[in-house]
Amino acid sequence: MCRYCVEYGGGTKWYLNPDNYRDELYGSGAHKATVKMLTGVQKNSFEVGAMTIADESCPDVYSSDSLSVALEQMIGHGGQVVPLEDALKIIDLCKGPFLLMHCACRRYFGKTDSLRCLYLWGVETALKERPWEKDSKVLSKEEAKEFEIECDKKGFLHSVWHAAVDSDGIPPVVMCHCTATDCIPTKFRLSYGVVNAQRKGEYVAEVDLAKCKEGCKEYPVCMHRCQFGAMRYSPVDRVMYIDPQACFGCGLCRSACPYGAIKLVDRSSYPSLVDNW
Amino acid sequence: MTWKVNLDERSDEMEYTHITPRPVLHVDEEACGNAILCLKCVKACLEAGPNCIGFINTEPPPVGENAPQRLEDIPHRIFTSVMVNCNGCGKCVEACPKGALTLEMPEPQLPTVRVQRSDIIFCATLRDGTRTFPRDD
Repeated sequence: MCRYCVEYGGGTKWYLNPDNYRDELYGSGAHKATVKMLTGVQKNSFEVGAMTIADESCPDVYSSDSLSVALEQMIGHGGQVVPLEDALKIIDLCKGPFLLMHCACRRYFGKTDSLRCLYLWGVETALKERPWEKDSKVLSKEEAKEFEIECDKKGFLHSVWHAAVDSDGIPPVVMCHCTATDCIPTKFRLSYGVVNAQRKGEYVAEVDLAKCKEGCKEYPVCMHRCQFGAMRYSPVDRVMYIDPQACFGCGLCRSACPYGAIKLVDRSSYPSLVDNW
Repeated sequence: MTWKVNLDERSDEMEYTHITPRPVLHVDEEACGNAILCLKCVKACLEAGPNCIGFINTEPPPVGENAPQRLEDIPHRIFTSVMVNCNGCGKCVEACPKGALTLEMPEPQLPTVRVQRSDIIFCATLRDGTRTFPRDD
């Protein structure tokens, strides 16, 4: 359990605590500016601009001092990987409506299929301040859930992003659906080790080896779904092994497995992962 | 891989500095103009693999009546990110029709060796001249 759940979880995970979805939280304290920045006109400048600065202020990838600079910059706005069932619970906790908008990372690096940012809050601000986003869609609760399930099928991992952390809470603002090769914060996590940029999920995938052995055999369908290089195929045993230290707990391998051999277990069930976010 | 940053307990391993060498892409913004009308370098970098080049609006656009109605109306510029992935292929420079890009490659780096024990000079020779394993002669 990382400090977000200890301080803002209220006995559960921080993103499942209804206290963090209070209306007044979004419009007060340190959250207000970040929520405005994330939904308003400054969004793209902030998202991608912060990444540029982080890149320049990391002169040495192998030094903890320059990394701490980048870390500071990511403290205000960070994310965590969530599996599908938690993503659906988050949608249930929000009032709606939801806004599907272009993802800065994907569009600004030339990728297609960039309608990937699902706003949980600030729909009116976003529509008013960003009139050039003609193809953004307003989704109802049911449509948002359908979108989550569709993303899970396609192999986009879900992650929930919060606005600034303040003493009164940590309000989730946006759900991102991307891949580790394209998502800039995930790249920062994987290339520079900036933990706050993208935290690991609350779960770890586990393989039921007996089921796996009788399943795909030579061509494992789950392997290409892993964004983090946590899956290893043994051609001798003809099973998949998951490296729990590398697993982010997104659950994409599980939804691809046709034999139900993969399940998600709580991260804290591994003593070595209790502090590994 | 997890990096633990604890400024209070800096270990001795951090006493030397080693700046990670990576190429730098200089963009002549005047020559480039509004980047979103071209984006040839972004596509070139995406096709080449590293995907280090992106575009971004120069400043937040106005709100209200003067708000831009199309993305193309907003001035954009080129920027780079995660340049440690750049292999210096130079396809972005070739792709630029306006010659606005220059790729600066880092100085060639020599591999360095850190000697862990103070009494060892070479791999098998101690400071006082004795060797840790016998020679053939």
